[in-house]
Amino acid sequence: MNLEIEKNIYDAYENAKKLNEKLNNIVTLVDPKSQIDELKDDGLLYGMPIALKDNVNTKGIKTTASSKILDNYIPIYDATIVKKLKAAGAITIAKTSMDELAMGGTNLTAFTGPVYNPYDLNRISGGSSGGSAAIVASGVVRLAIGSDTGDSVRKPASFCGVVGVKPTYGRISRYGIIPYASSLDHVGYFTRNVFDASLALEVLAGRDDNDMTSSYKEVESYSKLLNSNIEGKVIGIISNVIEAISNKNTLDLFESLIKKLEEKGAIIKNIKFDDDLMKAILPTYYMIANCEATANHSNLDGIRFGVRESGNTTEEIMINSRTSGFGSLIKKRFVIGGYGLLQENQEKLFRKAQKVRRLIVEAVKKSFDDIDCLIAPASGNIAPLVSGSDIDELDSEYLVAENHMVIGNFTGYPSMTLPLGFEENCPIGVNITCKAFDEVNMFNIGLAIEESTGLKDLVAKVK
Amino acid sequence: MIKDENYYKNLAKSLMFNLSDKEASDMKYEFETLYRQLELLDKIDTTDVKEMIYPFEDETHFLREDVVDHTISQEDALKNAPVVKEGHIVVCKVVK
Repeated sequence: MNLEIEKNIYDAYENAKKLNEKLNNIVTLVDPKSQIDELKDDGLLYGMPIALKDNVNTKGIKTTASSKILDNYIPIYDATIVKKLKAAGAITIAKTSMDELAMGGTNLTAFTGPVYNPYDLNRISGGSSGGSAAIVASGVVRLAIGSDTGDSVRKPASFCGVVGVKPTYGRISRYGIIPYASSLDHVGYFTRNVFDASLALEVLAGRDDNDMTSSYKEVESYSKLLNSNIEGKVIGIISNVIEAISNKNTLDLFESLIKKLEEKGAIIKNIKFDDDLMKAILPTYYMIANCEATANHSNLDGIRFGVRESGNTTEEIMINSRTSGFGSLIKKRFVIGGYGLLQENQEKLFRKAQKVRRLIVEAVKKSFDDIDCLIAPASGNIAPLVSGSDIDELDSEYLVAENHMVIGNFTGYPSMTLPLGFEENCPIGVNITCKAFDEVNMFNIGLAIEESTGLKDLVAKVK
Repeated sequence: MIKDENYYKNLAKSLMFNLSDKEASDMKYEFETLYRQLELLDKIDTTDVKEMIYPFEDETHFLREDVVDHTISQEDALKNAPVVKEGHIVVCKVVK
């Protein structure tokens, strides 16, 4: 191996270690030596140091999903994407912190403690893939893997000033990813520019028989097809989101971007969805995600794997292991799931949510009859403070502006967040969503946005 | 729809974990918001709408030939088990 490439890997490793003291974004540092020794052929990511969210199974390397109950879990196999990344020449240097079992949007619930925002250590990174967002934003690696069930890649991307991609459902295999909610889970990732994002998907995408939801569709040469000509492309602004945002700075930044896209030849349309449907996104998500999670995580009991607590009966061992192994927020999510699955609630809550999901998906699908892409700010504001801020969880600003990206999980459509601008020296992002398997169009419009904002290859100076 | 702390403790128990008094009390409070959010679902008319289980409804999985293609060794299977004896995962005795 070229000495410069090897030095780059070790520099990234040392940098990750050093910055972790401030960001607290790493669960396990991975010594790159054996991977460097095993590296044989050239590949698209040859010698590139990368990081993996800690819900990605890595053979022989501790994988905790930031949960105490998995604090001793060492997988016996690699996730499909780990094999693909290795084959492409990538070198994993860290397993990154996340909200426990990926269930959260703050990264405050990790067993190892909060992840701090590289732009302002008093602020959150966002979650659940916060550790991966922070390691890319702080300049340690160019690529980090995350997962996205609600907006767990795209929201932290907004808060950390990086590109966050959630491709089409089925585009990237989920085999070997510790699940959250199977009908909504996607593998996603972070980069610092659109070109790297397009390249990464070429490596990660493709059919995998081990994931029954994996698509047979051909993987395109996204990086070679990259083209920022958006002349005639129809971009639909989600008006409901704009109406729900009260922060003038965010709206000004967004308006300025839209003008630039118009100057590049894009046709701008306003898309207004039914307000009641938009406000129903969050409760629909809560029901479906938590009901699925409750079932998926019933295997975490300390019997066959994971941290076992003592007890006088097998049942007592399970109860004690789960009581001690889960944080309070996860218990709340499981109770919500359990509540939705109770016989008396299944029809009026769980199945109702699945029906509302269909209506939301149909409305979004119909909007694409006239547009190529949906666009809206990824959040109304910059990252909240770690110490918290008052949120009215029934207000439109929260229900719509802070949760609209779940549309990408309900529909399975590809969606990505890119830097939009700054407020108080902290970044805020813009989100775009395209039709299923239309990643080429998504990256092209993303490139046009990157050129318009000039916000490319941002690196936070961690103070 | 007010439920007391014990309701949440019992629900948690059915999911095989216990809630502390504080967790149950917090949950009682937080569920009040959840119930109001869930009421937003009632505003949507879903008459004759079919549940959507997965985003895409085209088949991507098929029955395969009944041949062994994915196995792990006993050693690997037991690697993460907290207590192992003579090739078995040890739990408490059922018959005493």
